Amino acid sequence: MLQDSKYLDWNNSFEKMEKAFEAGLFVLVIGPKGTGKTTLVREFAKKKSLNLDSINFSLRTRESHLVGTKTLENGTVGFIEGLLIKSMREGAMLYLDEINSAEADVLLRLDEALDDRRQIVLKESTGETITAKDGWFVVATINPLTHVGTKELPPQILSRFPVRIRLEYPPEDIELEIVKRHSSGSHEKELKQGIKLANTLRQAAAVEELYYSPSLRETIAYAKLLDLKVPAKEAAGIVFGNVYAQWGSVEYQKVSDIITSMFGN
Amino acid sequence: MQSLSLRYDTLIEITTFLVRRWSEDDKITVELSPRKEISTKLADKRVTLIPIEHYQGDDFARYRQFRTSIWYEAMRIKFCKKILSNDHAFGFILNTLETRRVEMLGRKVWQGMDEELIFWYSYQWLYRPILSSIYGKARIVEAFYQYFIMGDIKGEIQPNQFEKVSEAVKLAKEIVADSLKKNYDTEWLEKKIPQILRILDIDSLITIPLVVPLKGPGIMATQQDLVKVLQKTAKNRESDLGKLDPKNVLEGKNLQEEFKILMEENKKSEKKGLAVEIIGISIPSITNVDETKIYDQDLISGLKAKFKEWKTGWHEQHVRAGEEFDEETYLEGHEPFFTDVKKIIKSRVLILLDHSSSVSDIQTEYKKAACALCEVLSFLKVKFAMYAFNTVQKQVMCWAIKPEDIKWNNVAAKRLAQIQANGGTPLAEVYSKLLPILKNRKPDIFLTLSDGEPSDPDAVRSMVKTLKSLGIKMVAIGLGPDTTRATIIANNLKFLGYERTLGVSRLNDIPKKVLNVLGTN
Repeated sequence: MLQDSKYLDWNNSFEKMEKAFEAGLFVLVIGPKGTGKTTLVREFAKKKSLNLDSINFSLRTRESHLVGTKTLENGTVGFIEGLLIKSMREGAMLYLDEINSAEADVLLRLDEALDDRRQIVLKESTGETITAKDGWFVVATINPLTHVGTKELPPQILSRFPVRIRLEYPPEDIELEIVKRHSSGSHEKELKQGIKLANTLRQAAAVEELYYSPSLRETIAYAKLLDLKVPAKEAAGIVFGNVYAQWGSVEYQKVSDIITSMFGN
Repeated sequence: MQSLSLRYDTLIEITTFLVRRWSEDDKITVELSPRKEISTKLADKRVTLIPIEHYQGDDFARYRQFRTSIWYEAMRIKFCKKILSNDHAFGFILNTLETRRVEMLGRKVWQGMDEELIFWYSYQWLYRPILSSIYGKARIVEAFYQYFIMGDIKGEIQPNQFEKVSEAVKLAKEIVADSLKKNYDTEWLEKKIPQILRILDIDSLITIPLVVPLKGPGIMATQQDLVKVLQKTAKNRESDLGKLDPKNVLEGKNLQEEFKILMEENKKSEKKGLAVEIIGISIPSITNVDETKIYDQDLISGLKAKFKEWKTGWHEQHVRAGEEFDEETYLEGHEPFFTDVKKIIKSRVLILLDHSSSVSDIQTEYKKAACALCEVLSFLKVKFAMYAFNTVQKQVMCWAIKPEDIKWNNVAAKRLAQIQANGGTPLAEVYSKLLPILKNRKPDIFLTLSDGEPSDPDAVRSMVKTLKSLGIKMVAIGLGPDTTRATIIANNLKFLGYERTLGVSRLNDIPKKVLNVLGTN
């Protein structure tokens, strides 16, 4: 509920999504973790006063999670409809998070509902054909393929989402704006340094000199620690530096050297 | 004598990382050279540094000076349009002004460097020559440097010369301040240099002697000397850097932790047992090789994406009994339970690359494939070692690219990049060179990549037999320009007694083939 004032639409993703909504086209948001994909979707649903149903995909997501499962109550077989069916009936907004971490066979069931007819046959239950109510709007997000646990999206699924929005890490000044919205906004100098540090590490990760690149979540966490009077250098170590220790002390030393050289006393 | 035996490749790895991050340029390579002064070639994207052991002071002090020198070069890369040679007055003075300019620009971002700068200056002051030891016009140039950078001169010069120096320094400071205020760059600064030369009354092309940290009896500084210089330097730079406590500067607390990590790492990776040099295996030693040219990022990312499942180590499998019940597959009449299976490569592998002359025209592609293979293996945390052989000056050389106990990194990639394809394929000779390592380490799989038949087939056959008797699985991959050739080569290799032979005609398939060998073992 607090998200309202906090989202900063720096690359006009909002407008693109709005156009897609008007045209009745489904949207795919592509970008690395922590670039505000989920926040964008939530913000959009809120602004448009749409009912938002979300499904978080993982390896363990099954068709039954989407479509529904049979139940047995007092000797009668019933059927509980899944989120996909529910949102189709309501004409709500459906958010498919990290769609490319699901198994391909699960996604193929989605395909049926997403094609132009917007229909799905409930073969699990009565065999009824469900047609989506007008205004049904689907947004999916995917992480780039380089992320652990992600798979390539089957092309037929990909084509169901003809509007594709790319979210990248924002430029430093925009990132500062975003971070300020999530914290008290004081400590401008230290915030700038933290963002610069995050970008330095992202660049290193982009050329595979480091194993991990910090996201916007981390710069926001750093800002929050600053608000709680943690000294900048220490906060940087906690949020950005220590994580690299899991790849060995050389890796850790590299990053802590960058931190040391960036933060004076 | 104190000895700082920082492991060379760890040091190069960290140095390369720092210089790239500080300068924000991913293509910079670093070279350590005892014969040259510190310099940076912007066009070649190469930084030459003085090895750490050439600095004065204890291990920690040396490391700190070394590190600051990296920082200065990184700042030059970031902010300078060009870097002239230091051996003539014009270039020397321009670089002197640039030193101050890039320092002031750099510390806006890298504020943690302030104490280190003071520490570095203090040692620089000790290294600078006494003015009376310099003859000719070069003396006034050195005096200018000392007065501009350090705020004082070492020794004495004639009063009328000193007047010139202080006038020139005043102008130089104004120039630098102006450039900082108005964001002017090297080219603007360069136009101002003749004014300084005119005040100093010297020709722009007079030769300036080289100043490097001296290792001689004359320079041994006591702790007190150093403290005195530190105090002076800190006071002198107070207007730029703010108030800094000389005691803190001397202690260098901020860096102590990091240095400790470095030393521990050093202890940890000190070679145990066999040193490769002793048994006739060489280590490629050129450091100024651009390893980025053998990195094929597309190939690497593709492979990483493909073998991702092996990275997480878990694979979901449907079976009759298991951890979780899956009603859907049950309804559809398939195996009802699913369970997670750990997928991991336990085999330790040693890879030998043929660098005989026949691969010379495809060697970049070949190295790219080998490099991608190493990237993926280290990504999957497979224990592996890589060696290569070629012929140098009529002698067969076996090169250690990545011994098993050392991490795959850009230093290892540099080693791979510099090996030139040359000579024949005397496999048996190479095997016998590797024999002590093979006996000592006993890899599970010994994989040979070759593009032709060995020149000594009978000897190879008996060597392969010996190695198999050690319990090593011998695998050979034959490289050919097309499928037919590759099959023929692989078949010929089979007759030499390898347990498994494969043929590859497309170089980019090498990593996949190797991983499949590992996966099925």
